[in-house]
Amino acid sequence: MENRPHPNYQTSSSNLAIHLDDDIISDLAANSIDLTHLKISPIETANIRFLKKQGRLWVQYEDGHFCDFPYYLKNILSTLESFQQKPNPRSDELTFTTNFIKTVENIQKKVFSNIALRPEQNVKDLWDEIMKKVMAISADSHSLNHLVEKILQIPFLQNFESSFLLVHLKGQTKVALIGSTLGNEKISRFIEVKDFNTFYHSVKKSKHKSFSTNDFLKLDLPFNGSFLAKEIVSKKYSLIAMVSRQDFLGYSLEEIELFEICIDLLEPHFERLIDQEFSDKKISELRLCLKDFPLPIKVCDAQTGVSFMNDLYQNELQDKDIFFNKKIYNNYSIDLYDSDELRHYAFDLFHFQRVSLLGELLNTLRHELSNPLFGLKLGTQIFSTLEVSADDKMIMQEIEKNVNRCQQIIENFSNLYQIQAENKPHSIKKMIDESLLLAKSEIRDVTKEILFEPGTEEIELQIPVLFIVQILFNLLVNAAQAMRSQSERGIIKLIVKRELDQLNIFLQDNGPGIPDDKIGQIFKPFFTTKTQGTGLGLVLSRNLAQKLDGNLEYISSQPNKGACFKLSLPIK
Amino acid sequence: MNHILVIEDEILIQQSLKKLIERKGFKVDVSASGKLAINLILSNNYDRIICDLMLQDISGFDVIEESKKKYTTEDISKKFVIMTAYNSPQVLSKASTYQCTLLNKPFDNLDEAIRLMTELK
Repeated sequence: MENRPHPNYQTSSSNLAIHLDDDIISDLAANSIDLTHLKISPIETANIRFLKKQGRLWVQYEDGHFCDFPYYLKNILSTLESFQQKPNPRSDELTFTTNFIKTVENIQKKVFSNIALRPEQNVKDLWDEIMKKVMAISADSHSLNHLVEKILQIPFLQNFESSFLLVHLKGQTKVALIGSTLGNEKISRFIEVKDFNTFYHSVKKSKHKSFSTNDFLKLDLPFNGSFLAKEIVSKKYSLIAMVSRQDFLGYSLEEIELFEICIDLLEPHFERLIDQEFSDKKISELRLCLKDFPLPIKVCDAQTGVSFMNDLYQNELQDKDIFFNKKIYNNYSIDLYDSDELRHYAFDLFHFQRVSLLGELLNTLRHELSNPLFGLKLGTQIFSTLEVSADDKMIMQEIEKNVNRCQQIIENFSNLYQIQAENKPHSIKKMIDESLLLAKSEIRDVTKEILFEPGTEEIELQIPVLFIVQILFNLLVNAAQAMRSQSERGIIKLIVKRELDQLNIFLQDNGPGIPDDKIGQIFKPFFTTKTQGTGLGLVLSRNLAQKLDGNLEYISSQPNKGACFKLSLPIK
Repeated sequence: MNHILVIEDEILIQQSLKKLIERKGFKVDVSASGKLAINLILSNNYDRIICDLMLQDISGFDVIEESKKKYTTEDISKKFVIMTAYNSPQVLSKASTYQCTLLNKPFDNLDEAIRLMTELK
């Protein structure tokens, strides 16, 4: 039944024939409402029919269209006003209309009698008040929480005790439950999406929109008894509004209807507040990220000065310490300060850029060299079957060997630098062999001892070979260089041990070791004892190990017993 | 089967293959250019055409496409042997549509490669 003003509603006259259905007549008789001034007609000849359907009062026009009563009343009142404003109003017309309105209001009041009305309050007042209140609370609500509380101020909801909202922003893993009970106890917590969805579908399917908390024990709603619920869905969120009197009585159809209308009226305001709160949440998350950002940061507003600084920012930082400055938005600028941490991160980044560039370069090189090397190899193979002198034959064999070596080196290098394509597991033995091969010329005068604890040799790790090789290469080269000037022959021991879910590789040398006073500095960027060193090798190695959820530590050894590093890696 | 064409622009590879195949008793023609190779294919009757994919002027695929003027797809799958050093998935999937023998350079096993080049499919 749709609300539609009848085109002829203004033509009411004393001849207006009214039909009241039997329900209404018996209701009115019980309340001794005077109907004498009205011309009551059978349904076929009436101009206007009053009917009680679904417990509500409806007005039906001659052409069969229905209009619900509050709407009808609004129209009829404006008709009365227009009568009164006429220069010479016909007194009988006025009297009739006034009486008519009085009667229909009484009829309406009777039908609405199970809604709490204050003394002297009539339905029309109630309706207007509801509208006014809905507008007022939505206009001065600046948060969703506020709006939810204010819902209880809507006239017909005044004897309700709880008002709650379940808000699910699309894509979020939790559903927010917010609201309050009359005791002003504010509640804000989260429920599972799965439970929300079940509830949402029950609400959507329900015609009466009335439920009992007993049916949704999983939700653990913060009130008990029967409640009304209405769902709203939009592109960004789904929402369920709930109100409860906290008793076990049912709700009248009028209450249900009014509740649904109110929630529909509030829909744009829910949307606005959700939008606002969602973006607020984003900003606060962003602030949190900046707060925990591992480098000192200051955000300045050109007009008002400092507007944000994070936990690491300290007042003694000077302008000269600014490492990086950028205008970000309107008048804002962001300053990043120089620090050990920054160097740490920056060099890590530069290093990775270098590695990926090198990877690209090697790939090109492999493609470009592969054909000519293949040609050389085929060429030598022709000569291997020809009758030539033994000397010449040996030269050809040497050429072939060298070609093979070139191919092998290129192959190894380009495999090594393919960081992205590292999803297959490699045995730890292979990684160690690879590192030894790369460091071959650096460690040629050193005795290598590799010891695998039983069962560790074939352990496969699903991590980029490049990372491990780079760490081990660094450690091997460091050890070899440390032992270069000693008279005793250098020995590097690589010991692989398993400890629960961790694989430990110990790299021990018999060089001079690291003096106690330097141990604290060896993992700091730019710390070096070598004239040609960058002081980045160990820093990068530890960073790489930590990226793999492992670690690189220096194991203190007895004086003059050499250095020992422990690389630990998780076995997944 | 006695007449073979080798299309390869890397002269050292081309000449080595020519020698290795000739030793097996075949007559071998060579071409470093794809366009020249097409002329040779259209004017001779080769029993086998060994074609590199990356040539200086046109690609090995172009050579095969041009050969369709003379040969059916079935002929092509039997006559052609494709050599390639760039095993990108796109190249491999395109090469497989011709259903001919595919050899990766460098050859893992030279004798095996020469056998595949000279045996009837």
